[in-house]
Amino acid sequence: MSHQLVTFDRDTGRSRLDGTHVGAGAWPVGAEGPSPDEITRSQSRRVRARFTPLAAFWVLIGAIIILPIALFLCVAFSPALLGQGTEWFTLSAFATALNGHLLLGFVNSLVIGVTTAVLSAAIAFGLAWIVQRTDAPGRRIWTGVIFALLLTPSYLVALGWERLLEPNGVLQTLGFDPSGARDVFYGPVGIVVVLTVKGVPFAYLAISNALRGLGHEFEDAVRVHGGGPFASITVVITLLGPAIWAALAIVFAESVSDFGVASTLANDAHFTVATFTLYNAVQAYPVQFPVAAAVSWILLILVVLALVAQGRALRGRSYRVLGGRSRPAVRRRLSRPAKTTVSVALIGFVVAALGVPAFGAVSASLISGLGTLGTHEWSLANYSRVIGSPSLSDPLAYSAELAAITATVTVILAVVCARVLASRGTTAGGRLLDLVLLAAVALPGIVFAAGYIFAYNLPITQALGIHLYGTTALLFLAYLATALPSTSRVLVGSMSQIQESMMHASRVHGQGAVRSWLSIVLPVIARPVISAWLLTYTATLLELPVSQLLAPPGSQPISVGITAALSKYDFGGGTAMEILAILSALAVVGLGYLLFRILTPPGWRHLGGTQ
Amino acid sequence: MNVTARLAAFGLVAASVVALAGCSSIAAAGTSAKSAVEPLVLYAAEGFDAVVPKAFTAKTGIPVTVVDDSTGPLLTKVAAERNNPQWSMLWVDGATAFAALDSQGQLLPYQANASWNAAGKSILPADHSYNPTGTTVMAALIYNAARATDVPKTYQDLLGAAYTGKVGMNDPSQSGPTYPFIAGVMNQLGGTSGGIKAGETYFAKLKANGVKVFPTNGDTLHALETGQIQYGLIQSSAATGEVVKAKATADFQPKVVYLPKSTLLPSIIGIDKKISAVQQAEAKKFVDYVLSPEGQAVMLTGDPTGDSLFWPVVNSAPSLKALPAFPTDYQTIDPVFWGAKQPEIVTWFDTNVK
Repeated sequence: MSHQLVTFDRDTGRSRLDGTHVGAGAWPVGAEGPSPDEITRSQSRRVRARFTPLAAFWVLIGAIIILPIALFLCVAFSPALLGQGTEWFTLSAFATALNGHLLLGFVNSLVIGVTTAVLSAAIAFGLAWIVQRTDAPGRRIWTGVIFALLLTPSYLVALGWERLLEPNGVLQTLGFDPSGARDVFYGPVGIVVVLTVKGVPFAYLAISNALRGLGHEFEDAVRVHGGGPFASITVVITLLGPAIWAALAIVFAESVSDFGVASTLANDAHFTVATFTLYNAVQAYPVQFPVAAAVSWILLILVVLALVAQGRALRGRSYRVLGGRSRPAVRRRLSRPAKTTVSVALIGFVVAALGVPAFGAVSASLISGLGTLGTHEWSLANYSRVIGSPSLSDPLAYSAELAAITATVTVILAVVCARVLASRGTTAGGRLLDLVLLAAVALPGIVFAAGYIFAYNLPITQALGIHLYGTTALLFLAYLATALPSTSRVLVGSMSQIQESMMHASRVHGQGAVRSWLSIVLPVIARPVISAWLLTYTATLLELPVSQLLAPPGSQPISVGITAALSKYDFGGGTAMEILAILSALAVVGLGYLLFRILTPPGWRHLGGTQ
Repeated sequence: MNVTARLAAFGLVAASVVALAGCSSIAAAGTSAKSAVEPLVLYAAEGFDAVVPKAFTAKTGIPVTVVDDSTGPLLTKVAAERNNPQWSMLWVDGATAFAALDSQGQLLPYQANASWNAAGKSILPADHSYNPTGTTVMAALIYNAARATDVPKTYQDLLGAAYTGKVGMNDPSQSGPTYPFIAGVMNQLGGTSGGIKAGETYFAKLKANGVKVFPTNGDTLHALETGQIQYGLIQSSAATGEVVKAKATADFQPKVVYLPKSTLLPSIIGIDKKISAVQQAEAKKFVDYVLSPEGQAVMLTGDPTGDSLFWPVVNSAPSLKALPAFPTDYQTIDPVFWGAKQPEIVTWFDTNVK
């Protein structure tokens, strides 16, 4: 990047951060100033440095993402730096972490991550194609299904499968023998299934937004040159490269940072993942942050591997397909057998992805006394108990308000990030941002939150009068940092498609830069932006690790309330709270799309549409 | 200025406006006034941690802000804050964390104004760096008397053919109370001088006899209920709570026995050394209140089918009717010795038993 943060001030001999230009008038009264020639020469020599908006953006990214992660990673080498030990430089944490157990977990995580990413992206692409490019029945419900999937906590997905397959569980009660399926599912296969289900929404939002922006002219060109349906799909997949790689990267990073699903579903199978050592280090006392930091370095290697793969795949190509002459896509008419096949596949996916966790939730929240011995009765008692209780309403209102603010700010910044990421191949800033954002996803939330405490609870910041830790403001910043990576990636596919020529045309015709952006780019990205806002809102509402460590005393986010209820064996009450929170979020999603339909000009909604 | 820079400028301005407006509206609701009385901040993971501070504030006028969460995240938070602690008091189950905090010089020694019973005295550290407020034990063996015919009398019994594939326990990497149980068995077999080898051999044999490991107390109970296991080793308060909640039928008759030796798993309260003198005095008052008959009675109301099912550690304190007699053959493990061994033993367990 050519932008400089620091200006050297010859008045004081100190660096300045305020960005004001130092010209001839800045010389002290009475001092002999330089001649005009000297000024010109010195100006040409001097790096013209200003505090540009883009630099400010980088300062923000540095403060909310890079600093916490960097401080946490430093603890691996220097525990004394943050009061986590006495040594200023040591490699002992790596020696503790790097045992056979971790190396096995590293390989397992890599395999799980790649498999999950490929499956999620493939399913998401198939879904996006069916919904946007065919006349398959029931396609209008898909946005709702995707958001429901996004909101479904992975523990409910895992719980549902367990309740179905366990000995004396539902299937066995119904007369089936699930022992074979159980052997397969309680292990790596089950982990992949659950993580894929959780990965599909991210991949779908990234890919479907980009597919929407891909006109029909490319498929026409293939057909004109004699290519069949397979060839045209290959071309479409190639042209969606940035979005597909964004989907792969985000699902991969989410999967390698997982611990909950692996520890629940593969508990019997003794299937270890890289995060096991990390969680063991931070959940047992004495908490060993240096060991957790050492494992985090390992996870970073996985991220770098993912980015290298992405970089190789996308290098040297342009994906700017959305211009003034993009043609609306044509919906393919499916034959009756094809419609039936597609419908069966979609229903199968919905049942596996949503039906099973819904069943888990129902069995947990509608049956009284779950987890207790004795007969169970169906009842709504858990719901009536929870609805009237301030332990639901207060945390839900607090989390909803914070989620709305976070979503709004995140989306604004994610548009900037996506723009920088879209230029990833050409600028160092783009590559750095890519690495930082993906690292933030691949490191488990608890690491990120601990990094926040390290960074913003330093005695020096407190002495300077910066009291951010323990405030709602810091919780908001951490939510922002948590949401920004995935939201940016959901938008990057769409941002990569926009041809600069449209902006240039607008400028040539006399529009200002801002007006051009508002009239050309905003309409094109309006729909992806709405999806991104709703994605961030729903993901933030139920975010747990950051909420647990950073919520200010006296304010309880809903996710912490739910976890507290579950940990005190109130499964019914905790799950009922969870279901009500999910329903409230789905209502917000419905309202969001409704408002988009009512309030936006018709042209915005038709962009990227189909004939 | 190019398009990206303009976009960044617009984005930053817009983001700042929304963030400032939003956060200030939320923050306005939560500001607290400064006065001669300083509010205490209590990090707690107990079922009664809402009712006790409320009763204490009503009695003394000292406000207490509670951060209520599970033990794991609270301890992570405490460790991450080590540079600059934000808590006044910590109140969670298990002495090992407090022993570690004490060795780091983070706890304020305080000899509480209480009349300890024998169990309480066995838990109390010599330097008074923390105080127990009640105790549960690990493990209670819960079984379904309607189906199980054999009732074990010792931990060695569980290695016999009658129990093959029928016993379940929790995973120490996910269930907080389970490490003290494993450490307790290792303490009983090898002690702090004999090492952990004998204990490892015991758990390896238990594994060979088909022990099943579930994530937490709730999962182990569910496995018992669905017949996957006949015997479950869980925390005493959870076991008693289930007996209280479950309706006994012809098929389900949950009963609990305590195998010797039961390892004490006390709820412990500690005071942060770095808080102001005013807060220190207030925190001491809080500890005394909790250990008074009045405070102990309030603790019983917080979670009558869970954490409130504890045995008192002070004389003349009330307890819930549902609580069985205190196991006579109990032990207290050295929190310093066993606390330090936790990562090693949990990893061993995960590799060899789970």
